[in-house]
Amino acid sequence: MTDLSSSGTGRAGGTAHSNGRGLTGLLLVSAPVALLGWLIIYPIFNAIARTLFAPTQTGTAFSLDTYGRFFSDGYALANLWLTLWVTAVCAALLLAICLPLALYLRFAKSRVAGVVQGLALFPMFVPSVILAYALIRTIGPNGGVDLVLNALGLPKINSPYLTPWGPIIGLVWDNIPLTTLMLVAGLGAVSDNAVEAARDAGARPIALLRHIILPQIGNAMLVVLSFTVLSIFSAFTLPYVLGPASPEMMGPFMQRTFSQVMDPRMAVTQAVITFAICAVFGAFYVRSIAKNREARR
Amino acid sequence: MAQLTLKNLGKSFDATDVIRDLSLDVADGELVCLLGPSGSGKSTVLRMVGGFETPNRGAILIDGEDVTRVPPEKRPTGMVFQSHALWSHMSVAGNVAFGLKLRGLPKTQIREKVGEALALVGLEGYGERRVWQLSGGQQQRVAIARALVLEPKILLLDEPFASLDQHLRERLREELRDIQRRLGITTLFVTHGQDEALALADRIVVLRGGEIEQVASPDRMYRAPQTRFVAGFIGSMNFLPCDMRGGVSDHPLFAVRATVPDGPVELAIRPEALTLLPARGTGARVHRVTDYGTHLLVDVDLPDGGRLKAMCPPSARYEPGQEVALEAGHVALFRGDAKLAEVTVERRVAVHV
Repeated sequence: MTDLSSSGTGRAGGTAHSNGRGLTGLLLVSAPVALLGWLIIYPIFNAIARTLFAPTQTGTAFSLDTYGRFFSDGYALANLWLTLWVTAVCAALLLAICLPLALYLRFAKSRVAGVVQGLALFPMFVPSVILAYALIRTIGPNGGVDLVLNALGLPKINSPYLTPWGPIIGLVWDNIPLTTLMLVAGLGAVSDNAVEAARDAGARPIALLRHIILPQIGNAMLVVLSFTVLSIFSAFTLPYVLGPASPEMMGPFMQRTFSQVMDPRMAVTQAVITFAICAVFGAFYVRSIAKNREARR
Repeated sequence: MAQLTLKNLGKSFDATDVIRDLSLDVADGELVCLLGPSGSGKSTVLRMVGGFETPNRGAILIDGEDVTRVPPEKRPTGMVFQSHALWSHMSVAGNVAFGLKLRGLPKTQIREKVGEALALVGLEGYGERRVWQLSGGQQQRVAIARALVLEPKILLLDEPFASLDQHLRERLREELRDIQRRLGITTLFVTHGQDEALALADRIVVLRGGEIEQVASPDRMYRAPQTRFVAGFIGSMNFLPCDMRGGVSDHPLFAVRATVPDGPVELAIRPEALTLLPARGTGARVHRVTDYGTHLLVDVDLPDGGRLKAMCPPSARYEPGQEVALEAGHVALFRGDAKLAEVTVERRVAVHV
């Protein structure tokens, strides 16, 4: 009879620890981890600490004064509310525009889909500041649209420039490529056969979307939503150039508090509050990624 | 149930003809297997019947009604895919009930029908499970139940067992055959497995390059292939090139008498039609013996450098290098792709080369 027993001590190749691969791995990850700690983790805790400890004549003391000032200031709250509102409208518009686009790109077999994809990704290569000036030149006062309307003898448009709709248009346009790409990637999980099986069972387009496609890309949509909220909430250039002066979005508000009001501690407090709100959506993002990994196991 | 008619179907992709003028009648309750190598167009035919591809030419009729331009959701067909195509966000019962819910059936009726369908495929009590908790075979049963619960006129199966292991494949195909017979449902089954087609089908359609090569019962398809392609594609076949002169083949081992014009031919002999006998002076030697349990497959090197396979009973004893004589019970003669004749061969005893 063949002896198949093993002492268990002589594994070929040894463990990662014993053959030194563990150390190499640790060295490889140490650089990015150190950068992460230096450039992200440390500034976060440093900023939080700076807002919680106010300078006094004898040194520093724990204080929530800047938070108290922020949440009792109607103007600061209006800015926060405007930022939340713009973010929500942008997220809704992005989903409304990008989901049909992504569905088309995922399931269309025609050659037109390639052209549409190229057009959808084009905004990715346009810098925000160029986009902002392009929008001012087209939909701003006396812009291209007004000139065309004037030539046709029609009244001018009510320009969205310097209203909340200015940054909304810019941010939606700017975020279309990434949102579409993420949704197309999510739709990759829906197989052609799954869709065909549903059609075979009698599902028409709306039923197909509702019962088969949307439930299968729920995670992808959550990721898209989190990512969109994170990027729009912390946007600066487009709200700064296209947005209203008062109330203003959190990005320009922070910058102005820092450089014009000369109150860096208050600016950092605004940043910490912005970060706390973004962190909630970040948690959704991380949870969704973790759920995806769990499902794949 | 229903009759399916394909009339002069043609389908092109990017100006390449994938299906060329294909016509076929599938009788009520018949199970027809579409068999062919990759790229022969068998899946395209099935997808056209299911409505997932639109033919460029010809018509598809179900019970005499033209459904060529009818979308899949309105066709009286049910399809089972190779990849199961189950919806992972639904339970087993949810998958089976989906089509019934779309048809607006009352909940009690849906529950009853789902229970019956799951029982039919041997999955009673599995309704509440998630599909990813099932094995590959169980998932394919759910896919079959999902297609059958809608009581389609035509059942379409696209290589449904291709991703399963051999044992499971054999078991499931037997079960499928039982279900199909019990329900009497007209079925079109695509496979590239000849054993699957031979075991399941009432009739086999062999496709080649988008055209029908032969339509016949499994028995006729195996024993009387009409073309060299079918003879080589279905089962194992030994092809021995030689010349016919004065009605007799000049092959050193097989003197085949047939009334065919002189010229080059190929003798086609099934391994089981060959009998091996220990002999000396034939020049034919055993190259290798493979034991399949139920039979031995003996590879024999011929004096002209060719090699053929012979099937022997498991009790036979042959050694590599052993000289043997060969006797063929049945031989078909092909010239090019066309069959010239089928004959019984005289054994040429004492051939010295």
